[in-house]
Amino acid sequence: MTDQTGVIGDVRRGMIPAHVYNDREIFELEKERVFSRAWVFVGHESEIAQPGDYVVRRVLEDSFIVTRDEQGEIRAHFNMCLHRGMQVCRAEVGNASHFRCPYHGWSYRNDGRIVGLPFHKDAYGGEAGFKRKGQRLLPAPNLATYNGMIFLSMDPDAPPLEEFLGDFRFYLDYYTKQSASGIELRGPQRWRVKANWKIGAENFAGDMYHTPQTHTSVVEIGLFREPKAEKRKDGATYWAGAGGGTTYKLPEGDLDERLRYVGYPQEMIERMKEQWSDDQLRVIGDDGFMISAASVYPNLSFVHNWPRVAESDDVLPFVSIRQWQPISEDETEVLSWFAVDAEAPEEFKALSYKAYLMCFGSTGMFEQDDVENWVSLTNTAAGSMARRLLLNSRMGILEDDRPVVPPLGPDAFHGPGEARTGYSEYNQRALLNHWADDLEKPPSKAATLEVGGPGEGAQDAAGRTSANADQISLPAGEAVAQA
Amino acid sequence: MSTDLPVAPASAAVAAITAPESVPAGNPTGTVPRTLSEQSALGGHASRVQRVGRSLPFDDPRHLQAHHWLVDEAWLLDAQAYEDWLDLITEDVHYLMPVRVTTALGAGYDTARGMAHFDEDKYSLSRRVARFLTEHAWTEDPPSRLRHHLSNVRTFQADAPDHLVVESATLLFRNRGDVREGSFVSAGREDLLRLVDGRWKLARRVIMVDDSVMRMQNLAIFL
Repeated sequence: MTDQTGVIGDVRRGMIPAHVYNDREIFELEKERVFSRAWVFVGHESEIAQPGDYVVRRVLEDSFIVTRDEQGEIRAHFNMCLHRGMQVCRAEVGNASHFRCPYHGWSYRNDGRIVGLPFHKDAYGGEAGFKRKGQRLLPAPNLATYNGMIFLSMDPDAPPLEEFLGDFRFYLDYYTKQSASGIELRGPQRWRVKANWKIGAENFAGDMYHTPQTHTSVVEIGLFREPKAEKRKDGATYWAGAGGGTTYKLPEGDLDERLRYVGYPQEMIERMKEQWSDDQLRVIGDDGFMISAASVYPNLSFVHNWPRVAESDDVLPFVSIRQWQPISEDETEVLSWFAVDAEAPEEFKALSYKAYLMCFGSTGMFEQDDVENWVSLTNTAAGSMARRLLLNSRMGILEDDRPVVPPLGPDAFHGPGEARTGYSEYNQRALLNHWADDLEKPPSKAATLEVGGPGEGAQDAAGRTSANADQISLPAGEAVAQA
Repeated sequence: MSTDLPVAPASAAVAAITAPESVPAGNPTGTVPRTLSEQSALGGHASRVQRVGRSLPFDDPRHLQAHHWLVDEAWLLDAQAYEDWLDLITEDVHYLMPVRVTTALGAGYDTARGMAHFDEDKYSLSRRVARFLTEHAWTEDPPSRLRHHLSNVRTFQADAPDHLVVESATLLFRNRGDVREGSFVSAGREDLLRLVDGRWKLARRVIMVDDSVMRMQNLAIFL
């Protein structure tokens, strides 16, 4: 594999080798070093509200059944039968107390434990040949939730999710904790685009600069009153912990007036006031900034906008959560959900959903133009000329790295991290610096499970056993082959 | 003469559109079965007129009119003559394209709950059309080459005068630029047509797309 030191060095000084947006070797490295350790979003607790509810989601090629077991616990099982490796669940959503492999009929409870093994006595000699007790579908190496959002990490030694998210949690609450009940997630719409996954993540992280150009048409048709060039650069971008985002500057007013300006009804505002910290409220009420797009490293993004939804001057806010799921160096599956506060009035939920559909997702009028750009960029990045071009991603800093605009002081911006108004690419650089950190760090060898071994469980190079190795002791290979 | 023909069972997709949806076993909400248009949070305003009886003979003047209407519409959509297309749509239209999901055979549903690709009224459709008419809808400048292939048209009487229910299959081919391969969307549709001042207009459309994961960069098109 090519030494990528030069690429990483260029990225760190804000000069992006154009080919990183369409390069197989880079993508292989990302699989090995980014998605093998990052916390990756797979869904929300509200999607599996009842015991037995499940959704099937992927981290790269790995399919997981994300389910709520009969005790209400959220689990993620690797979607592969322990016997011959067949997918045990081929639906993407449903409710099941058990999963039965269609190949030979091994079946598992929704907590992962094996419960049915046809001809256990005849084929294996019963427990003496194959200890059924304690066997379970392979759990995801790491699972954690924040505000009901379920994340997986392929690294059993990943830092705790909250530590990974860090101060971005402050901003995550605006999208996912507008009341004590949190959000309901609907969807996702799924579609594939011939674009590299990093482009969407970078765009949502901080690209206020594209809004007046790319999205001119939605302003012209009266859908959105905000993204005029003058308006957008008055907003602030911020980066904190694992993520960063953009904001709009709101007109003068107090907290309530500003939340009403973007379309929240008073009863929702009252719940926000109960739910959010003083500083979270000050960012809106005192500083006058309203969150818009954001990304969490590596591939999760958010958007909050407030378009018109009918022939009226009223606007309605919506929240979307989306994942840029990598398929290859030049293809991404977009999963785009609509999120709404669970305690919101039904009429608000319906109109907020309408606002989402008009703006984002597979049919969204903002998103349509974004994707056209990203597909075109990816296509152009494939050739040899792209290897000669370092894209300038230094907006907001001078040649000597001094800022064009200083960061906002604590009195002007009450959120954590570093924030500044105006157009810049600080956030895109922050995201790609995280990426460079991961690319530089050699992967630790994952524990392997020895199917058919002598039953010692799994050990990695350092001699550690995996979290579940003591529970997995599959029978000798011969017995499996004969089953 | 059509009475001699065997009655084919409705396809699963069409049944899902028209027949009240069966409540899946273990459905915690216990909701009353409803059509997809009725289930949509944005379908409350839509007409509830439904089909009656078997499909009309292919030489029935009502079928010929409905088929003619669909072919004309396909031509307008290929040509991206969206203002003319909007003229063919009633003020109370519900234009719905659910998100299809892969579910077990016995699940009783195969569309996402509370989520669609399109869930439109006349206002939102008019904004989409207005956007294409600006000079800044980049995704269609340069424009795609579009072809809506139309087939399997069946027409039914409706349970209200001056209405017809029309089923059809559509296969859209869309190609952009010179490097990328073209992409397809295959879908079944059920339309409610209404006679308004002597012209047939689209009052309700439910589009059952055959992909769960769309293979098109966006849906800056209509089906």
